[in-house]
Amino acid sequence: MEVLLFGMIAEKANTDRVQISATSLSELRTALISRIPELDRMSYAIAVDRAVVHTDLALNGTEEIAVLPPFAGG
Amino acid sequence: MSEVRQHKVKDIFVDGPIDPSFVGTSIAKHATRQDIGAHEIFLGQIRADVVGADDRPPNNVVIAIEYTAYREMALETMTAIREEAFVRWPEMTCLHVHHSLGTIPVGQLCFMVFASSKHRQQAREAVAYVVDRIKSELPIFGKEIFVDNTHQWKRNT
Repeated sequence: MEVLLFGMIAEKANTDRVQISATSLSELRTALISRIPELDRMSYAIAVDRAVVHTDLALNGTEEIAVLPPFAGG
Repeated sequence: MSEVRQHKVKDIFVDGPIDPSFVGTSIAKHATRQDIGAHEIFLGQIRADVVGADDRPPNNVVIAIEYTAYREMALETMTAIREEAFVRWPEMTCLHVHHSLGTIPVGQLCFMVFASSKHRQQAREAVAYVVDRIKSELPIFGKEIFVDNTHQWKRNT
């Protein structure tokens, strides 16, 4: 699945999207950290279908996933 | 005006700074609304912050903030906040929100929340509430650009 990256995370990864295959959010987190090691030391949230999710969740591959660094609007 | 209590997703984003004359025009547009007795407006402006953190040269000055956003999520979240605000402050007749994207130099406006209601209290409360929710919940990202051309990523506290 395609994972959208923003702000500081897109900057560290040098891209605004990565392809990751995962069947759950915890699997996705692990895969993301091996792909973008800096993520381990950063504060971020994961949004599934445009809402931040804090718990684990099964993924079927059709979700819109985004990795979000701290918000700075206003 | 039929915009009240419509649930469609409105685009809040504008490219570049918000022109102060746009604020005036927005106020003028409400002249036909004879049920409005109060306007409350919050405007965010880019500040020349001086940052001297451990990993930065001392006294480095912000000259601009470059804003980006996860646009779809930001607009959906904003729609939910807007609907909630209209339920909470039923006297509010309109709520207009605009946020800049792109590079906004120091001294320029980047954020506007404008509420109107019959009396002042509901418009005041609604603006304070909506500003806080936007700052904490909308996926908007800001790169603070310093005078020496380095940058750091802003985070709302």
